[in-house]
Amino acid sequence: MAELEVRDLTVEFTSGDYVVRPLSGLSFDADDGELVVVLGPSGCGKTTLLSCLSGLLTPTSGSISFRGVDVGSLSGPALGDYRRYTVGVVFQAFNLIRSLSARGNVMSPLRLAKVPRRTAMARADELLEIVGLSERAGHKPAEMSGGQQQRVAIARALAHDPPLIVADEPTAHLDYIQVEGVLRLLRSLSSPGRLVLVSTHDDRITNIADRVIELAPQFAVADRDPEEVALAAGQILFKQGDRGDLVYLVEEGEIEIFQVKADGSEEHLAVIGAGNYFGELGPMLNLPRSAWARAKGPSRLTGYTVRAFRRRFPAPGAGVQSPVAPLGV
Amino acid sequence: MLAITLHDLRFRARQFLIAIVGAGLVFAMTLLLSGLAAGFGVEVDQTVTGMGSQAWVVAQGSSGRVAALSPLPAFAEFPVTSAPGVQRADPVIVVPQAATVGHQLKSIVLVGYRSGGLGVPPVLTGRPVQADGEAVVDARLGLGVGQQFSVSGHALTVVGTVNGRTLLGGIADAYVTLGEAQAIVFEGRPLVSAILTTGVPRALPAGLTVMSNAQVENRSLAQMSSASSSIDNSRSFMWIIAAVIVAALVYVTALERTRDFAVMKALGASSGALFLGLATQAVLVALAAAAIGALLSTFMSGIFAQPVDIPSSAFIVLSVSALVVGLLASLVALRRAISVDPAMAFAG
Repeated sequence: MAELEVRDLTVEFTSGDYVVRPLSGLSFDADDGELVVVLGPSGCGKTTLLSCLSGLLTPTSGSISFRGVDVGSLSGPALGDYRRYTVGVVFQAFNLIRSLSARGNVMSPLRLAKVPRRTAMARADELLEIVGLSERAGHKPAEMSGGQQQRVAIARALAHDPPLIVADEPTAHLDYIQVEGVLRLLRSLSSPGRLVLVSTHDDRITNIADRVIELAPQFAVADRDPEEVALAAGQILFKQGDRGDLVYLVEEGEIEIFQVKADGSEEHLAVIGAGNYFGELGPMLNLPRSAWARAKGPSRLTGYTVRAFRRRFPAPGAGVQSPVAPLGV
Repeated sequence: MLAITLHDLRFRARQFLIAIVGAGLVFAMTLLLSGLAAGFGVEVDQTVTGMGSQAWVVAQGSSGRVAALSPLPAFAEFPVTSAPGVQRADPVIVVPQAATVGHQLKSIVLVGYRSGGLGVPPVLTGRPVQADGEAVVDARLGLGVGQQFSVSGHALTVVGTVNGRTLLGGIADAYVTLGEAQAIVFEGRPLVSAILTTGVPRALPAGLTVMSNAQVENRSLAQMSSASSSIDNSRSFMWIIAAVIVAALVYVTALERTRDFAVMKALGASSGALFLGLATQAVLVALAAAAIGALLSTFMSGIFAQPVDIPSSAFIVLSVSALVVGLLASLVALRRAISVDPAMAFAG
């Protein structure tokens, strides 16, 4: 049994009028002592995954099991204990409390857990020693560099010596020297008795990982021959949230592009007729489809990979156009 | 949580100080208003009990207000003097007048009394009145011994001054002989405002009635009831202003600390602990403002023309009220603290 088991994890929430699904059926395992990198571009669900792992967000469906404990079944004091003692969180923007010194920030989880002040202080000094910031113990966040603040944030995450550390883009605001220091520290933390999970969009970090979870899968073939697609009237080509690598050119018929609102109603965005294309931004930016595509009547399309599409239509508006270009689908 | 709260107070010291000074000024005004309201009672009490009498014999149907007594014949003194229960009786005149001081017209309360009898004021400087044309005045009139003023064309020379002898919201008492007062007020007619007595008369001739000092004071204070009511309303309004100042500060602080709240919740703080921190800050600010207010009020009382006598109870009420104001103010920010989603800590 793996230390961490994630099964069919799905998170869906309403943003304005629309339903957004940053995670859809995600499954993976991770073992004790590993450094796991969760890789993906912005908006692919990394932070959502870490929020679920740290017990701060309840998934719509699926399960998370850590050391045999179903995190989703926890509530009340048990959930509070999980958040406090089982998982340590390193936030993307450090999120140090500005009015507290480095020592005060590291002490804060301990003091909030009613650990006596002297004990908390001793533990904080010990942790600051581990992250190499003993001399900055009395300094406030505004008096420290980004890298130092991130190391204080890591020390804070270690306050209760949790068996799971989740770090959300820990190198996002750092220069390359600071990045090296932080990564070295995170690498050293992943040892027997502790699992470290780091989310990032920077695939260079995967070189130090024991396991890589890709939230935005790289398609096996970046370039392949165009595909002919025939659709009957009312047939769905793709749904909002689907992953796809093809840009579609309408050869015959019409394709309607629409979004489904949270209340189930449809908002029509455009109708794509023959000679026009759609669906380019998702494959280009490795993002999920942001709308549905459905054939109004019998239709015939050609699906191109991004590379093939650029070869076929090298100049913008070269005989084709995308009525939904501002939206991108 | 207390340590985090206190650190945050220090971190935002400047904005808290502004609110403390602002609310402190308002609290000072509430204390001063309490002092003003109490001052009405103090000046009436000092004037009435300062006469040295135990009872006032006035005309039947008289209002009983010390500065608005219906005149009665001076010879009423004789049956009062011989009334059972009376040890001593002396006539007195108490009537508001306008005095000419230099080129200015000032309000005074003219008190005419029998030299050596009841109603003699305790002179602070100079000596008591001994003859017509002489006056002992309260220091608020702004005249010293030897200086002159006139009332209805009667020239008067100050021979002594007193302190704390005012009526009707700071109007200075001016003590003259009974004859001088009769000449000024009643054009020399043998009329008086009341007969002061030591000992309470048990029977009186028709047309006269007896009032105790307390009754005279109560009726005199009723004359100031609308002023007192205005002061009370103003004081209530001041409390609301102080509460709004503290609440506004606490709310703005809560808005600025939304990310901190999310992080603290993510680290294990309960909504209750966050509220306790907010309440502690609000109460500390309110109590500090109350302390500033108490200090300021002792220096600011001199700006008022009328007596300001802040009762000790007002300071206790202020402390308790500051506590309540702080707690109420923190409720304003409570919703903000409770509603913060700890997952927000992940936001970049």
